[in-house]
Amino acid sequence: MFMSISIVAQKQKSCRNLFRNMRVLAIALFTSLSFFSMSVYAQTGLKVTGKIVNESGEPVPNASVLIKGTSTGASSNAEGNFEIMAAPKSTLEVSSVGYETKELQVKQAGNVSVTLRSAASSMTDVVVVGYGTQRKEAVTGSVASINGSTLREVPAPNITQSLQGRLAGVQISQTSTKPGATMQILIRGQRSLTASNNPLIVLDGIPFPGSLSDLDPNNVKSVDVLKDASATAIYGSRGANGVILVTTDKGQKGGKAKISYNGYYGPQTLFARYPMMNGPEFVALRKASGIYTNGTDEADNVNTDWQDLNYQTGSINSHDLNLSGGSETGSYNVGVGYYQNQSLIPTQQYTRYAIRTSVDQQVGKLFRFGLTSNNNYNISEGNQVGTGNFVGMSPIASPYNADGSLKRVVHLALGDNYVFTKDRVDSLSDNGLWLNETRGFATYNAIYGEVKIPWVEGLKYRMNLGLDFIQGNNGNYKATGVNSSNVDDPSTAGISNSQTYHWTAENVLTYDRTFAQKSNLNVTALYSAEQQKYNSSSMSAKNIPSDDFQFYNIGQANATDITVSPGGQSYNVWGLTSWMGRIMYSYDNRYMISATVRSDASSRLAPGHQWHTYPAVSVGWNIANEGFMKNITLVNSLKLRAGYGQTSNQAINPYQTLGLLSTRPYNFGETNYQTGYYVSQLPNPNLGWEYSETWNYGLDFSLLKNRLSGTIEYYITNTKDLLQSVGLPSTAGVSSYVGNVGQTQNKGFELSLNGRIIDGGRDGFTWDAGVNFYTNHNEIVALASGAQKDEGNGWFVGHNINSLFDYQKIGLWQEKDANLQAYEPGGKVGMIKVKYTGDFNADGTPARVIGADDRQIMDADPKYYGGFNTRLAYKGFDFSLVGIFQHGGILISSLYGSGGYLNNLTSRNNNVNVDYWTPEHTDAKYPNPAGPLSGDNPKYGSTLGYFDASYLKFRTASIGYDFNRSLIKSSTFRLRGYFTVQNPFVMFSPYNKESGMDPETNSYGNENAAVPLSYNMRRFLTIGTNTPSTRNYIVGINLSF
Amino acid sequence: MSLFLMIGCSKILDEQPRATFTPEYFKTVNGVEGGITSLYAHLRNIYGQAYYYNACLTGTDENTYAQSADGNFKDMDMSDAGQVSSTSFPTSIPWGESYSDINNASGILENGSAVGINPSLLAEAHFFRAFDYFLLVQTYGGVPLDLGAGELKFNINPVRTSTRNTVPEVYTKAIFPDLLTAINDLPDVGRVIGGVTKTAARLYLSKAYLTYAWWLQNPNSIPTYPAADRTDPDGHDAAWYFQQAYDIATTAIENPASFALQPTYYDVNYAPNDRNSEIVLYADHTESSEQYNGGSLSYGSGGAPDNFAVWMLTWNYTQIRSGKDASWSGTVSSVQRAATQDLGRPWTRMAPTIGVIENTFADKTNDSRYDGTFVTVFRGNWQLAGDATQTYYNANGLPVHPGDPILTFLDEEPATAIDYSTWGSKSNVGAGALPGRADFVISPEGISRLRYPGLWKLGTYRTDNGEGLGSPNAGTTRPFNIAKFSELFFIAAEAAAKGASTTAVSGLYSNDGTAKGLINIIRARAGMWRFDNNGNTTKIEDNSAAMIAATPANVDVNYILAERSREYYGEGYRWYDLVRTQKWAELSSTYRIGGAGIGDHTPMTITRSIEPYEYLRPIPQGQLDGMEGTDAEKDAYQNPGYN
Repeated sequence: MFMSISIVAQKQKSCRNLFRNMRVLAIALFTSLSFFSMSVYAQTGLKVTGKIVNESGEPVPNASVLIKGTSTGASSNAEGNFEIMAAPKSTLEVSSVGYETKELQVKQAGNVSVTLRSAASSMTDVVVVGYGTQRKEAVTGSVASINGSTLREVPAPNITQSLQGRLAGVQISQTSTKPGATMQILIRGQRSLTASNNPLIVLDGIPFPGSLSDLDPNNVKSVDVLKDASATAIYGSRGANGVILVTTDKGQKGGKAKISYNGYYGPQTLFARYPMMNGPEFVALRKASGIYTNGTDEADNVNTDWQDLNYQTGSINSHDLNLSGGSETGSYNVGVGYYQNQSLIPTQQYTRYAIRTSVDQQVGKLFRFGLTSNNNYNISEGNQVGTGNFVGMSPIASPYNADGSLKRVVHLALGDNYVFTKDRVDSLSDNGLWLNETRGFATYNAIYGEVKIPWVEGLKYRMNLGLDFIQGNNGNYKATGVNSSNVDDPSTAGISNSQTYHWTAENVLTYDRTFAQKSNLNVTALYSAEQQKYNSSSMSAKNIPSDDFQFYNIGQANATDITVSPGGQSYNVWGLTSWMGRIMYSYDNRYMISATVRSDASSRLAPGHQWHTYPAVSVGWNIANEGFMKNITLVNSLKLRAGYGQTSNQAINPYQTLGLLSTRPYNFGETNYQTGYYVSQLPNPNLGWEYSETWNYGLDFSLLKNRLSGTIEYYITNTKDLLQSVGLPSTAGVSSYVGNVGQTQNKGFELSLNGRIIDGGRDGFTWDAGVNFYTNHNEIVALASGAQKDEGNGWFVGHNINSLFDYQKIGLWQEKDANLQAYEPGGKVGMIKVKYTGDFNADGTPARVIGADDRQIMDADPKYYGGFNTRLAYKGFDFSLVGIFQHGGILISSLYGSGGYLNNLTSRNNNVNVDYWTPEHTDAKYPNPAGPLSGDNPKYGSTLGYFDASYLKFRTASIGYDFNRSLIKSSTFRLRGYFTVQNPFVMFSPYNKESGMDPETNSYGNENAAVPLSYNMRRFLTIGTNTPSTRNYIVGINLSF
Repeated sequence: MSLFLMIGCSKILDEQPRATFTPEYFKTVNGVEGGITSLYAHLRNIYGQAYYYNACLTGTDENTYAQSADGNFKDMDMSDAGQVSSTSFPTSIPWGESYSDINNASGILENGSAVGINPSLLAEAHFFRAFDYFLLVQTYGGVPLDLGAGELKFNINPVRTSTRNTVPEVYTKAIFPDLLTAINDLPDVGRVIGGVTKTAARLYLSKAYLTYAWWLQNPNSIPTYPAADRTDPDGHDAAWYFQQAYDIATTAIENPASFALQPTYYDVNYAPNDRNSEIVLYADHTESSEQYNGGSLSYGSGGAPDNFAVWMLTWNYTQIRSGKDASWSGTVSSVQRAATQDLGRPWTRMAPTIGVIENTFADKTNDSRYDGTFVTVFRGNWQLAGDATQTYYNANGLPVHPGDPILTFLDEEPATAIDYSTWGSKSNVGAGALPGRADFVISPEGISRLRYPGLWKLGTYRTDNGEGLGSPNAGTTRPFNIAKFSELFFIAAEAAAKGASTTAVSGLYSNDGTAKGLINIIRARAGMWRFDNNGNTTKIEDNSAAMIAATPANVDVNYILAERSREYYGEGYRWYDLVRTQKWAELSSTYRIGGAGIGDHTPMTITRSIEPYEYLRPIPQGQLDGMEGTDAEKDAYQNPGYN
């Protein structure tokens, strides 16, 4: 363990105010945790008033003030003030979610000040568990939670970035470095071969059909991740990949109107250049390879840095304004947000405008209604410009003519290349000659109505209605000759539009009641229906008659230049209807059981196979609440839990059971155009669900007066009937069908720890730290029909879904190595030496030459992952760090491998600056540039792209100051300022050490390389020529009044 | 609200696709027509696909691999540069592409007959099913007739097993009956431009009979697989099939309908004259619609359905340099990449052997076919790139102007030795100089894996170049020719040479019907000139008499094969011709070519080892991986010799 625990004496503040004789009055109230009314009675006592604040002096609203041993209590209002009548010498228990409970003795009437300390343990938190909430103490499934303010320690355009490394078992990987991109989320690894591994996202209770980039992170109150099947089974056919429940901010009931502003701004700078050769290095390489001669625009004495000519300093801008408030019976929250990120690549930027509302209103004693609405409009621009356009440009070609003007193309060894510079791209964009923009609009709305059934105590009926609409429009235009060596390359324009319509209706009946003060029963019953319709259309054209049209009137092009491809239009509708029942029972806060049954029917399956039922059960035992633990003060809480459940993955596309004809357009002569149809997918009337069975075991604990808390979990998930596109032999006449075959297993261990290492109180020095650590061992258990391997897809029984099948580089062939020609006919000293697995002859020579049989299966998943965060505070200052790490596994860099064409060592274009073999320098890592080639790359060149994927990365380092400590003495006007550096540094990364680059991936396998991996290898995340990683310097303020 | 949801429930679970078709669509007339269009479009996945093209040529006497070749090309060379195996991509293409087409054709035939589609339309499906099976049986030996639903039935079962039929079964159950139906029901003139005809069906049936006759006769004891006796289930012998081949081919010649030989060889392959009356079948492309062309019109990706075969045989002529002044103080690229029939996009993956230049096309004077096949003169085109300079300086420091020859591949060795040493590195491609000549020169003996004459006949051609270089990087938008009317003469001649009894052929192409008589029709046409392609000048000559005079008295199979190579060089016929006649090893076991470096001017003689088992291509590994079964069963499915 990396934390050392030091204990500092805690100074209990005593009440200084004395109270006089007063009458005690119990008041009816709503607590922040429930809406149940309590009985009203009166009693004589002392009138105690007070203000409840947190460690930074901010008022704590809705805190509960309870007279110990009674059910009499009060709650604080929005300013943290409360009033209560209490008998002398009685004890007040002050508590609030997220804070440690504090007790104080009533000595006399009057005013007291109570400072609550935020709880190191979150055991008292309420977590969202789907169709309801639950005290964390009572949770029996595997749920990881993070609140909005903790998320925002990492300023980011969307919560995927902020979540990275924060929760054990939630692996978040970068798939693109373009502005506004979201990340890939895998909960407890991937389990599905061809179906989606994406978790279900639920926004404010409604399944979310959009992208997480549509949600302004400033508006997120909490994120709760359901990891195991006992927790996700309530989402049945969509639970297998985990569920992410996002809850947005709501107004506070009874609070005064409050305005808050959160804003930050900062420049984005280059984290690291792509490590290309400079002029002299390139000249040396061209000489060493001896294949290419200089093109007519190349000269050995030129040294051009194409990256320098193209990058700019980017910027991040985020502003968020919020108004919230409430009355005794209702609340509201309204906000607007603006986010803009201008990337390092000229004209590439992402802008988002968000508007949100939430209203909640009680009507009479029985009814409640509410609405939340999240809307955003976003624009992504300039994504057609990329580093791939210039990183490989010859560094010995000058972009300038003798007179200083910019060349249109440069003549290089292997042909002409269009010249890219920032000025040219900016000018093309300013003049409307080259643009690509995607405009998205999305609105996510949830409406609910709730009624208490008056004649049954604890019974409620709730109707949720979700109405969502998402629209995307892309338009692109490229004028004649732009980005082409051919000056007459025709202009092109294209547009595409997509619409998603999604509705959900849920009928939820909840019965929640405590019997005999010890038994708590919560029963939920659900009937829901959901439907989504998606359609998209696109068209493109060439030879647009005027640049002024851009893509706004494609119809102006000649009819034969317009393409409306059948493959570019789509339509699908799917529906799901479900029944669900859940019982959660706890006895005396010691024994808990939760049982769920969900039945789902989906339109995506063939009639007769549409329904499936998912059972789950989990149990928990709060050992710390047992009598025998009373005297063990070291332990504040200790809970064991275990669960089993079955869930599914419904990520097959609609219409898969029906079979499919694909199109083949054809021309009979120059003018007779027709579309052909052929059977590309066989019908499968027996298609069923892929389902996962998970066993989960967990231990939650909180020790040392809650200063150290944590969770340990272990799970096994077996996924069966994998939805897999089964490759048929060609002789079947159809290449594949989607069937239920194969099996995978995931096993993992998760640990998270949070502690307050030094506790200096409000004005002293405080040090908090948290760490999470997890493993996930993924293995294919079975493939279709007992096959042990599927080389085409790179799947091997007994190995990771992510396994590579390739030669294994063990060094370079050197002069002293024997039998080079026997292993590698035509081989040359300095070429890549790969592992040989064949037999040997008696004389020690190999029995055969190196060939396809020598390819190895290499598991690519890291051994473990994790994240850490730490915060130091002293008086008004705080300093925090958030980081992530992973160890082992294989990182694929297409820069160094053969797919990128940036390390072919032939000097055909610029090369990554690598240490290559020459007769004078034999102790090199990279092969002889004059060695044998396979295609355009060194033989076995793909092996050069594999790196150890380990790294530890600081995501943010932040220093903040609370101006209320010195300058501002108002209790309502709050101001905090901070300075954050994002991506300050990387450690323990072999890739970073060699290249200086960010070791985080930036592309799917089939992207951002000259010859990317095939589509079926898309699952591998790689480093390619995407927008470079950045280091950001952000200044921000949080203001409220 | 709840009530509304309950009612909606059953509807929510219904599916109705609205942007795609299900296989049910084949039960309509439009569906059948669409299915047939797909059979044509499918041709592009094989013809014009450069890796398949490579498998047809590299390793024969026509081609070897060139400087930028990767394993796909070296494996096909049959030298020790590589090895054909079950994982070789080029040999897998017919297997990977044909069965879906066969199944589609069977689906059309089953559903089409049920809804009463016109037999002439269905005959097109018969033609293509036979066409695919013929390609498969020639490439791999016996192949399965049952895809999972029964022999020649439309398969909608996801079966993962397969059983191979024997070669005689494939011919007699599938190819012959389908083609006989096609001959009967197809029209004389295609339903659409490029549509299949009676002539197309006759050409393929006669070729199928010829091929099967050779198989029955098996003169060089080449093994077949799966094991089958060399007897015909229909009770005929090889001679009967040779005769049938002869009869059907000559019937087609006598009844050409709309087909005809072009007046000159140049016209056959001259791009503006594409889709001419000599072309019986082609995989079409267009430069006017990106969508219907099936590939980008500005930058081709190097994959089907693009027609990118010719890139492979195009060397990187853009490396040629000329001097900016007479002393060569600076250089320019004087022949730039352009979308013209003589240039196009260079990939330098395949090269002709020196033997092709010196032996196959020994006669470059009378016979117009050398000039009508190759690009031997590379001309300055810098003005198309917007460079208005009028004069650059080339070999011997002499001036050259736009349109002048910059580099010439000489027809024969010059009397004076070429100066490669001074000019080889200046020209940047190892070309030399001859006294007094401004163009760089390379003699036949100087042809190497780096530099060699281009393939004019398949060259890129566009009408939208304007005043510039055009779009040379797109796949070529010309149709890729698959079968020509002229081949009927070769088929009949080969059948005659194998003993078919001959009768005089009447009509437009009347001759005595002997092998020599038939071949002389082709040779006479080859003697007709109207344009000197590489000289870029009109040349009206009739050398027919000289051509006929040079025909040997005994036109045997070897002579027919040599003549086929002159007629169809680089069009993708060669491997199949050599395998059918069992002459592959005999004619291709050595070749000569220079190395891959600029300074390589001395030809090397390379030996190939071609084993009898290699007359069948390996069953692709993807087939075996996709099949259920034990290793032993899979081994038994593979053609012997491959593992």
